[in-house]
Amino acid sequence: MIRGLVLLSAMVALACGSDKTVTQPPNAPGSLATIGEGIVNERYTGEVNVRGNVAYTTTWGPRDTFGNAVKIWDVSGNTPQLVDSLIVPFASTLGDVQVTDDGLLLVVATERSGGSIMIYSLSNPSKPQLITRYTTALTDPGVHTAEVQRVNGKLYAFLCIDPANGIPARLVIVDLSNPAAPQQVFTAAMGSPFVHDVYVRDGILITALWDDGITLWDIGGGGHGGSVSNPVQLGNVVTVDGEAHNVWWFHNANGEKKYAFVGEEGPGSIGFSARGDIHVVDVSNLSAPHEVAFYHLDGAGTHNFSVDETRGILYAAYYNGGVRAIDVRGDLSACSASEKSLDGRCDLRMMGRELASGPAGVSPVYIWGVQLVGGFVYASDMLNGIWKLGQVP
Amino acid sequence: MRTYIDIPDGRRARPRRIVTRLRLLALVTAASLCAHDAFGQTRSSLFDAIDVGAQAIGVVTHVSPAVNSRDMTEGYLSQPVIMAHIDPWNELFTLKAMLDFEGATLERGELNPGIYGEGYIDRRHPHTYLHELVVSSAKRFGADGVSGVSATLGKGFAPFGTDDPMSRPFEKYPINHHLSQILERVVAIGALRAGGWIFELGAFNGDEPTSPGDTPNRDRYWDSWSGRVTFVPWPQGEFQASYARVESPENPDGGGADQRKKSASVRFEDVQHTGYALFEWSSTSQYSGGTKSFTFNSFLAETWAKYDRISGALRIERTERPDEERTTDVFRTAVPPTDVSIAGRSLWTIVTLRAAASLLNTRSIILEPFVEVARARVSPTFQPTGFDPTQFYGSSRIWSVSIGAKLAFNMAHMRMGRYGVAVPRRSAGMGDMHMEGME
Repeated sequence: MIRGLVLLSAMVALACGSDKTVTQPPNAPGSLATIGEGIVNERYTGEVNVRGNVAYTTTWGPRDTFGNAVKIWDVSGNTPQLVDSLIVPFASTLGDVQVTDDGLLLVVATERSGGSIMIYSLSNPSKPQLITRYTTALTDPGVHTAEVQRVNGKLYAFLCIDPANGIPARLVIVDLSNPAAPQQVFTAAMGSPFVHDVYVRDGILITALWDDGITLWDIGGGGHGGSVSNPVQLGNVVTVDGEAHNVWWFHNANGEKKYAFVGEEGPGSIGFSARGDIHVVDVSNLSAPHEVAFYHLDGAGTHNFSVDETRGILYAAYYNGGVRAIDVRGDLSACSASEKSLDGRCDLRMMGRELASGPAGVSPVYIWGVQLVGGFVYASDMLNGIWKLGQVP
Repeated sequence: MRTYIDIPDGRRARPRRIVTRLRLLALVTAASLCAHDAFGQTRSSLFDAIDVGAQAIGVVTHVSPAVNSRDMTEGYLSQPVIMAHIDPWNELFTLKAMLDFEGATLERGELNPGIYGEGYIDRRHPHTYLHELVVSSAKRFGADGVSGVSATLGKGFAPFGTDDPMSRPFEKYPINHHLSQILERVVAIGALRAGGWIFELGAFNGDEPTSPGDTPNRDRYWDSWSGRVTFVPWPQGEFQASYARVESPENPDGGGADQRKKSASVRFEDVQHTGYALFEWSSTSQYSGGTKSFTFNSFLAETWAKYDRISGALRIERTERPDEERTTDVFRTAVPPTDVSIAGRSLWTIVTLRAAASLLNTRSIILEPFVEVARARVSPTFQPTGFDPTQFYGSSRIWSVSIGAKLAFNMAHMRMGRYGVAVPRRSAGMGDMHMEGME
């Protein structure tokens, strides 16, 4: 009996871990001025995309109701004004939204209960009109992100498809030359276990493959004979701790294309906690990318990026850490010994490269996406809606 | 400043761990088989060696509110199973099998506020058609008739936690099912019993089933392990403590969050099988790489007593649940999840009362009408949260009333979750301890 009680007590004593509290992210040296807020409280807000004076925000998961709405905002004034909402049928989460570079189309990704992309005409940006819903067996069970980019003059959507029971995650590339009749031009299973996002620029495709890191592909600009319908792998790097979620290939004001920023999406609980660093990968040799630096924020984790390439400022959505602005000018791989981690990477925070954060004095926030447009930083906040912030002065 | 330590990738280290575990199992198996008097103790007839049984529960459940302030009432044929137990040679070769037809009768899941797992939430998921199929070989030694060694191989329960809820008093499952048991895995288990002590060690596949027809992924065999120590100080009581490492249970292809699970319990049952009590604590921590993310704890106490044909039971449970993003079917979550995050974590405190009467209780047939009433209180444990229970359900208090009847034929009502010498029988000839009328 006593031995049994000892056995039981030992197990209970060993176990009572608690994670009811988390480290609060520290403030940055400066603040991003809060200019205005557009409130959404009946749904959780997802991604943001802004063109001109119109912003589009998606919605996520069930709150009062499902995340089946795209909110349309007039952001010409200080406070974003809700002007309309699109309701997408047969969707519970709209994870991604993007306006094409010519401003003619709006593309929205849907997840759960049949993945798809919704393609709208923006002949009136405040009143998008549905052109078609593109869905196939390969877009099930959901399109996690839809990156719309032009390659050699032709418009494509790069769809990251969620894994399903026994079916691995995959990338599907769709030709949007005729938006009323999108054509699939490529698909391949990739990611371990997810492919969460891609970045396309200069005929190079970079895929964020979770624990497989990032892979660079020639899709027409890499000089290895690759094309959109036949991507040729150039290089791969597994970033520290994996969970590679998103990428931004930074072209600085001098035309240098040395660094890709990779977001690591660690475990989080919406509104409460998040984890994951920004990893800086030297891609000057596309065939041999390697990680040289990172940015870590205690108590918070990163999500999507927007980069002011002219000024060399990375704006990172940092969930419960708000928006973080980081100086990414110059050589990010050069730092003193005290600014390096044990594995030799430079710590951007220790290098004093953190510039500002926002929205200042507001808590709680849970920032999903961020975009710099027209001198303002727009941030989508899962808990609160959309913020219009000032950029780093 | 962060400190980085070069930790080897756990998945790369897996083959070595597997080899070590398999060697251990092989040793136990060899010891068991070599020590046996080969086929010398064949049961008197094949008929005596085979037990076959079946059962099903018809039940109507009313939940208020079930979702969005809306009440729901539904009826089910729950736990329709056929089981067989074959033991022709006094434990040298024992086969235990159970077919579960919930995949046909419970495809939408059974309303069960608070429960979660395998893509269902607030509905209990159907189990796989081949619920259990294991073979065991045991050798007893010593004068007490209970000490011995055994080896088990097949699809069934990993040596972790407490008995399966199907073999306990209530029709409605406790919501800690996925914290307190690991089941429907391909398992290889070695067990040693020395007097009152039972030691088990097993390897299994980490992936959970994804549908009733799903089978464990071959490339996931033996990527997870668990161990359990049980102490049986006297016939009426037992103490259990166990630990498990489960790789990526929710993502069958691997790469999802891993789990480290702990369990401890005390179980009592009187010799006449008219009273029973269980006190259980369990905890599951999720890990991303080597870093812990979330922990979910559970405390549960339940008791059952029978007087003549009337029985009553009380269960009190306090369990933390991960709240994951729901699909357009609000009772389903994405499988696998699209990342390693959760929407929130909620704490459920549930009190359940049961009353039942045995209308028929012969050696071979049991007909037992019952009523179960449960009251749940739920609150978020993270603030802010991506899942506000009061907002979602329409109340922080949920009532559930279930009325039904169980019909069982020749069911041995065995303990579920243990094999070979790990079944804590008390002494030679007593057989597995069971509770008449319980299921």
